[in-house]
Amino acid sequence: MLIIGENINASTRAVAEAITTRNQEFVTELAQAEVAAGADFIDVNVGAGSSSSQDEARAMKWLVAVVQQATDKPLVIDSDCPEVIRAALNKYQGKRLIINSVTAEPQRLEAVAPLAAEWGSGLVALAMGTGGIPNSVEQRLDACEWIMTQLTRLGIKPEQIYFDPLVLPVAVDSKQALVTLRTIEQIKSRYPGAKTVIGLSNISYGLPKRKLINRTFLVMAAYAGLDAVIINPLDAKAMSLIKAADMLIGKGSRGYTRAYRAGAIVD
Amino acid sequence: MSQDTIARLKENVIQGRKTKDDEGVDDSLSGTPGVLELTRLALEEKVSPDIIVNHGLTAGMQVVGDKFATKEYFIPDMLASAEAVGEATAILKPYLEASNSEIKGKFTIATVKGDIHDIGKNIVATLLRGAGYEVVDLGINVPTEKIVQMVRENKPDFLGLSALLTTTMLAMGEVVRELEASGLRDKVKVLIGGAAVSDEYAQEIGADAYCVDGFHAIKMVDTFQQRKL
Ligand code: B12
Repeated sequence: MLIIGENINASTRAVAEAITTRNQEFVTELAQAEVAAGADFIDVNVGAGSSSSQDEARAMKWLVAVVQQATDKPLVIDSDCPEVIRAALNKYQGKRLIINSVTAEPQRLEAVAPLAAEWGSGLVALAMGTGGIPNSVEQRLDACEWIMTQLTRLGIKPEQIYFDPLVLPVAVDSKQALVTLRTIEQIKSRYPGAKTVIGLSNISYGLPKRKLINRTFLVMAAYAGLDAVIINPLDAKAMSLIKAADMLIGKGSRGYTRAYRAGAIVD
Repeated sequence: MSQDTIARLKENVIQGRKTKDDEGVDDSLSGTPGVLELTRLALEEKVSPDIIVNHGLTAGMQVVGDKFATKEYFIPDMLASAEAVGEATAILKPYLEASNSEIKGKFTIATVKGDIHDIGKNIVATLLRGAGYEVVDLGINVPTEKIVQMVRENKPDFLGLSALLTTTMLAMGEVVRELEASGLRDKVKVLIGGAAVSDEYAQEIGADAYCVDGFHAIKMVDTFQQRKL
């Protein structure tokens, strides 16, 4: 499974502060820790809403430069604001990257998807439209179908697309975990070339011992066909479970023995 | 240059990297040619196939075995190396089998009961075919009765037994005893090989010879055949 490190995100107070104060050392250390823990991609998010989009764009440019100086790993440019994404791309060195994200909302898709087409980058597509996150598998798939048609029209290949079936707190609605899992299965069977990705932590919102729930869900999602996960790679137990799960679903056993030799498997 | 190719071949066997796209045990060789590419390169550089087999493939597998014994490697790692070596052997097959048209004798080979290691056995079979012997390969995990029956019906000049485990090598002794009991022992020369066995063990169970590798096996059977003449 592809690991996208989630730590450099302004929703964490310490990270937000580091971004505001342009604390290069803090960001560098965090990025390098994520890579050392096994992240394949580093997600960067400067937050939204609190400041103007020009401020965000400036912060994003700084963040991209700092993280790219700290590591060779490719980045996931995480923002719902097209100007911020464009600012990040202008600063970006190299070819591999993922843009996070579009939805089935026409305006946002028209502004962001052409950038992914132009860059040949990966693109996260959330299974939702203007009406928020749909409750049922069918409605989420409808959103995916619409997005697929639009992205194909723009010349984006299925291989570039990472569908996010979306994760809602199971504490609020006990059916939600299954809706996500079934949506993953359906996406994989409808669009075999496309990939799937989830951000894990929402699932456990409002419950105690959240990590346990996150990890359990992660293993189930792996079985459902999940290709990538946005996760805290410093959670060694979760990372170990990913290696074991990848082996058990037939993605090969060597990832597990390699990780073991690197001292990265904990039980 | 060609020496370098063989060293790299061995290193890639140890890493279990079949092709340039394989990950290997760590990242140190990422993107560089793997076992199959290097085997072809060595052939282009006119390295003799026996050097490729002994100093490249087998030498690498030896290290893999050592790392497995010390628990640095696990079965998936060993399998990755085995798979790479198995496919490299297939590439080498036509070179190892080359020329010879006249049949020098009949050879039956098997990996004994309980044992599924077949890379070494396959190499030996290929080399003997190349040396002019007609080889019948009974495969892996072959029951003693089946081996004895084969000797009775097919009347080979030689029976080759392979065992890599200290537990399965005992089946070799069983084969020799059963051949005796069936009155077939003097009809066939029994050669044994594999990491578990030795000269001493061959003597102990009353086999005719122990062979370190396939080339040794060719010399041995050629000598036996000449004595017959
Ligand atoms: C690859 C391998 C495997 C692969 C086999 C894949 C395959 N298709 O063959 C797999 C992963 C399946 C495997 C499984 C196991 N293996 Co293993 N395996 C090896 C390894 C690393 C290499 C063997 C090899 O292919 N060598 C390369 C070839 C070219 O060399 P070779 O076989 O020795 O053959 C040459 C000569 O011996 C000779 N020769 C061989 N046979 C014959 C026959 C005749 C007639 C003649 C003349 C000559 C001859 O000529 C050959 C060519 O030069 C060895 C380590 C080692 N040092 O041997 C362990 C080893 C043999 N395995 C070992 C073990 C323990 C196992 C398992 C029990 C592991 C487990 N816990 O499950 C299982 C047993 C499965 C079974 N029932 O047989 C141990 C045996 C320990 C012991 N003393 O008994 C070893 C020694 C590793 C170790 N150091 O611990 N294994």
